[in-house]
Amino acid sequence: MTTTDRTPDRAADADAAHPITRPDAQVHFGVFFQGVNHTTIWSDPESGSQTDFASFERVARTAERGLFDAFFLGEGLRLRESRGRLHDLDVVGRPDAITQLAALAAVTERIGLVATQNTTYNDPVDLARRLASLDVLSGGRAAWNVVTTDNAWTGENFRRGGYLDHARRYDRAEQVLATARRIWDAWPQGPDGRVARVEAHGDLVDVTIDPTTPRSPQGHPVIFQAGDSPQGRDFAARSADVIFSRHGSVLADALEFAADIRARAVAAGRPEDDVKVFPGTAIVVGDTPAEAEEKARWVARQQVTPATALHVVGTIWGEDLDGYDPDGPLPAHDPAVAELGGEGGSSTTGARTHEVAARWRALAEAEGLSIRDLVIRVSGERGFVGTPSAVADRLVQFVRTGAVDGFNLSPWLVPSGLDDVVDRVVPELQERGAYRTAYAGTTLREHLGLRAVARRAGTGAAGAREAALARV
Amino acid sequence: MTVPPLLTALDVDGAGAHPAAAALFGLAPADLVSGARLARAVRHAEHAGLTFVTFADAASPSVPGDPAQARLDAVTRAAFVARTTTAIGLVPEVPTTYPEPFHVATQLASLDLAASGRAGWLAAVTPGDAAPAAYGRAPVADLGREARDVVQVVRDLWDSWEDDAVIRDVATGRYVDRDRIHRVDFAGESFSVVGPLITPRPPQGQPVVLARAGDVAGPGRDGERLVDVVLVGGSGAAEARAAARAVVDGDPGARAVVEVQVVLHAAGRSGADRLAELDAGAAGPWAAGAALRHVGTPAGLVALLAELADDPAVAGVRLLAAELDADLPVLARDVLPALRADRRTAAPRGGATLRDHLGLTRPENRFAGAARATA
Ligand SMILES: Cc1cc2nc3c(=O)[nH]c(=O)nc-3n(C[C@H](O)[C@H](O)[C@H](O)COP(=O)(O)O)c2cc1C
Repeated sequence: MTTTDRTPDRAADADAAHPITRPDAQVHFGVFFQGVNHTTIWSDPESGSQTDFASFERVARTAERGLFDAFFLGEGLRLRESRGRLHDLDVVGRPDAITQLAALAAVTERIGLVATQNTTYNDPVDLARRLASLDVLSGGRAAWNVVTTDNAWTGENFRRGGYLDHARRYDRAEQVLATARRIWDAWPQGPDGRVARVEAHGDLVDVTIDPTTPRSPQGHPVIFQAGDSPQGRDFAARSADVIFSRHGSVLADALEFAADIRARAVAAGRPEDDVKVFPGTAIVVGDTPAEAEEKARWVARQQVTPATALHVVGTIWGEDLDGYDPDGPLPAHDPAVAELGGEGGSSTTGARTHEVAARWRALAEAEGLSIRDLVIRVSGERGFVGTPSAVADRLVQFVRTGAVDGFNLSPWLVPSGLDDVVDRVVPELQERGAYRTAYAGTTLREHLGLRAVARRAGTGAAGAREAALARV
Repeated sequence: MTVPPLLTALDVDGAGAHPAAAALFGLAPADLVSGARLARAVRHAEHAGLTFVTFADAASPSVPGDPAQARLDAVTRAAFVARTTTAIGLVPEVPTTYPEPFHVATQLASLDLAASGRAGWLAAVTPGDAAPAAYGRAPVADLGREARDVVQVVRDLWDSWEDDAVIRDVATGRYVDRDRIHRVDFAGESFSVVGPLITPRPPQGQPVVLARAGDVAGPGRDGERLVDVVLVGGSGAAEARAAARAVVDGDPGARAVVEVQVVLHAAGRSGADRLAELDAGAAGPWAAGAALRHVGTPAGLVALLAELADDPAVAGVRLLAAELDADLPVLARDVLPALRADRRTAAPRGGATLRDHLGLTRPENRFAGAARATA
């Protein structure tokens, strides 16, 4: 759930003003198989199993047919609750990402495979080894979407419990990533070399290991980062190849975000285009603009059922709103709790309820929205809605104004939700010369147009500097 | 009395079970661990009619710094072949000592889902100082007790979702029935886990758990059997049969599987010559450990396996081939067909679970059972 209150339609006119700065830039796609969230409509007859391997395979193969860069899986290490009870309205229950992607690696050939893995409740040696294993087995198609999930509520499933202070989540992330890179760099380059021992002793990481995993054709797994705070953005600007953002459906917002990331990358001593921007979004197409609008409205209402609407507002208000009318107004009183804990899942952790409530109330009053309409309005941006041709034009505009490098699409139906994009939007993009017609490379790094991995860590001076920066 | 067919397992780690196999035969590390090589070996094993393959693993290499020790994570390897095979069981070795039990439970449940009920878990213990240094933790003193707690909580977590927890009830808008998903609230001696798992109950209910005799201090809570398949050995067939007998006498529901190292007569060279050459390799002679050893002709191995097969205490064998590229073709051509012809073994059936092949029933869900008992 996000709280971006913008209307794409109104912004559209202003968008024409943004100059094309990258006339040859290509649109790239990834697909985010959500697994958990109300984005995925499970109630529709066309909706298949969320658990069967066949659903994952169908989506991944469709994406590969559409020449996507990557297939993503998220992570959440505790089932979401509200007020002590499991949340039961959304799709829930998913496989371990690396395990599932390894199985998918054998039934796909080119598409990148991205595993979201948090740095707080994973051991660096396990993460480095499992990701390298996926990378080798897939022939250089693996990526790690680094998230920090630091809440103590998730920690209750792990040996160390909620040991990490929120303020230090990115310190740990930095140390874990630096350690993983040193593990990946430990393998000898020549045929007669020895594997270097890795010792990393930071204040949040303590590792001594003789690595066993050779390098893949892409050197290291690609690093994605998903975390929107200033610290998260700085972490991405310093250390990630790609940032998975929430700013990708409203051009002005996306441009602002991209400019911010470029400035941070330059400040971190990197070329400004070194961090690729891949926001999450969705695409809804119809034969006519009106049909597409109608479908988008239907999708939103399927996603935000009356029960879900009450749940979303109830999460912020910290109470059960079962007695409220979803087609009526927001509660008249203020939320009981000022800040949310971790039990709603990573997207609401730390939310300041009074600020959110005030913003929502203002929006609801200004536009005369019911609870359900409001939740639809603030539940993420609705993405790109229109005819295939209009959507293609707009996607190209986003990429060529430098707002984004690609889009991470969340299908609202599993497993058929990507068919429209692949069958109708991709050909339009190809006609415009803005989308590949075949994979040029075999690795994810090549698909994304990233530069090759330098041996940053390990033994060289640059490696020692990086390790020192991360204090490991 | 007819004895059920002998289960046949093969370890498919690396170049083979002999520590010098990779170095001696000049397999480059990248080839040794490649997906193509792995998929080929497991497909070969499936065609040969083996019941399951194991993926030996360890957190640290036995010879630090040596690239011939190249090895990938076992669960990830097993998952990679989940969809390139249809019948054979897939059993990664995963330590109980240092990894997070919650992750172990999730990974193995996910493997079982991807493999449509063909997953097992060789629950290992990790002695020594290398693993605690890798994890930045103090060495675990009581490996058996830690293994017991970890296997217990992993089984609890596999049951934390009842089989029918996903209800997709459009009328009430509920995707799951929250009353059929349970916390485990496990508190062991060195860690606790609240649960439930993030993954629905796997197809087998609980994937099959294997362990070497004595590694997991059992039984579990309320006398629960923690290890379904116990790996035993001995210096000779008689001793191995006695070890198997001891397992089933102690727990008639458990399966005893005898580990057998094999170096076969292959490509015109005797098993003894091949072993001598391997033992002279950089990594040194092959320690027998607890396993039986057969160095010699395929016919000799058939006779040994027939003797084991005819003992009702022995449920199966786990073959540790010195060098997969040399020994697996001989097993496939000369050993397994002979045993099958005598009806002493049977090839696994596509569509059946690993539990089916081991004659283990699908376990009732502990939480569903409890609800019924108190209802
Ligand atoms: C688009 C997007 C997707 C994300 N997906 C996940 C996820 O699957 N699992 C998770 O634990 N965190 C996920 N997060 C990241 C968490 O929100 C983030 O680690 C946490 O909020 C703390 O980082 P922050 O304070 O920098 O936002 C995602 C974030 C974004 C922006």
